[in-house]
Amino acid sequence: MVMKNVKDVNYWQVDHKIKKIFEAKGVEILTSKSAWEKHNWVRKYFFKKPREGYFIWIKKQVDLPLFTCISIAAKNTEQELQNLLILEKNLNINLRGACNAQKRNLNCLHKAQGKIILKEGSILKYEHIHSWGNKDVVEPNYEFFLEKNSKLDYTFKTLFTPKKFKINTLVNLFEGASCNLKILANCIQTETEIKDTLRLIQKGAKGQIKLRLVGRKNSKITAHSQILAEAESKGHLDCRGLLIDKGSIISLDPKLVCKNKLAQLTHEASIGKISEEELNYLRMRGLTEKEATDLIITGFLMVEQAG
Amino acid sequence: MLLEVKKLKVRGNGKEILKGINLQIRKGEVQVLLGPNGSGKSVFANTVLGNPKHKVTQGKIFFAGQEITKFPPEKRAKLGMALTWQSPPAIKGVKFSQLLAKISSFRDSTSKYYQFGEVESHLLEREVNVDFSGGEKKISELLQILALRPKLVIFDEIDSGLDLKRLEKVSKTIKKELIAKNVSVLLITHSGAILHFLKPKMTNVMVDGKIICKEKDYKKVLRVIRKYGYEKCKRCKLLAG
Repeated sequence: MVMKNVKDVNYWQVDHKIKKIFEAKGVEILTSKSAWEKHNWVRKYFFKKPREGYFIWIKKQVDLPLFTCISIAAKNTEQELQNLLILEKNLNINLRGACNAQKRNLNCLHKAQGKIILKEGSILKYEHIHSWGNKDVVEPNYEFFLEKNSKLDYTFKTLFTPKKFKINTLVNLFEGASCNLKILANCIQTETEIKDTLRLIQKGAKGQIKLRLVGRKNSKITAHSQILAEAESKGHLDCRGLLIDKGSIISLDPKLVCKNKLAQLTHEASIGKISEEELNYLRMRGLTEKEATDLIITGFLMVEQAG
Repeated sequence: MLLEVKKLKVRGNGKEILKGINLQIRKGEVQVLLGPNGSGKSVFANTVLGNPKHKVTQGKIFFAGQEITKFPPEKRAKLGMALTWQSPPAIKGVKFSQLLAKISSFRDSTSKYYQFGEVESHLLEREVNVDFSGGEKKISELLQILALRPKLVIFDEIDSGLDLKRLEKVSKTIKKELIAKNVSVLLITHSGAILHFLKPKMTNVMVDGKIICKEKDYKKVLRVIRKYGYEKCKRCKLLAG
């Protein structure tokens, strides 16, 4: 999957090389290594001195979406990224992030440690798209900090899963902050482990997790989703799996932990198969069995993007 | 002959549902299949269209001179056969416009998405059959069929759940876009209201998995059924046999 909209990209890295950095007005973009050197205050956000990755500091309102792309093009590449994004108070930003392998057989490793800070009253809509080859190992590990009254709408979507996939997402919500976290994965020949947690730390925080996982061609998928309420807050967990063939396994493990008697936490979880009726309906409209299956899966993964 | 069904038998849930159906439809012809609930009309329609849910145990189906009894449903659709479902399933997450585009793509046709005007065009952005009213489902089915550019359409209870205004609109569209273009039509109904608009050339009555009556005058058949029910048909001397 080659980067197609190069002219619109704000941060573009291929293997270990920076291809492009384009700073919109009011946005500072550096490699995380340079940010470590330039701003002492950012050091607390990195667990060690970064080797690669981006630093994006959004200080003013930007109306066009910001776009990052981190690709792997060479065989056996091992990326170890540390990314940091800071959104200043009361801004409303759209961000699109793509992480991918440019070919399906590169046998690469992509490890990313990310921290995303939403300051008071800010809003971030972040669409994070992954697409990998079937020999790759990929471990994105992102932590979000949602300060007072900030809002996060985060969609993590996987178009092609790697051989091994470990997705860790932790969202910390402070007073009045809200979060809509969606993880959508079409898993094919993969071993995928998902850990996603919402921590409702302060009063008025609210959040929901929506998980949509499709298991195909001997995929083994485990998802541990958790909402932890530490204050008067609201959370909802909605996990659904769609199992396509016999060799795949989906294991959903939704968990609610409540430490405050005024908090309201709910969850729902289900794993199903493709409905024969829907399949036959589409086939009678001229779609082959494969086309009909693909359309139903697309719908299953799309349905929650809107909501 | 466009469609020819010969001695068709179908089993389901351990019993025989269709017990030797014979039916022929010519190009451009409009016919109706009447019958009480549970008589096998929908099973017949689905079997003709190749729904894998129903297994043919005996008999043959020909379309445009070609035997299609064992063809998968998508192949039949591509040959020009179409069925509107009585209760179509919801396809969550798939926009109606997306489905129409898929259907149209293999036919390379431009369908009449907007001919129902603003009232119906809002359906395009909604998920297929999700929370559609009864009337909206019928419109959705008809629009999909038009996108398919078929040679034969079986309408399974297209008139149920439609108010008179919509029924007239649907009937006009069927006339203009299908019948006037020489497309063959088989109407399945048990109310008969749509027949006054579309005036079928042949009326077939199905009871207990058999076609027991074939009559050219649909009004005559409707009169008998309204007055005496389908029981009278069973005893009628004009039994199709």
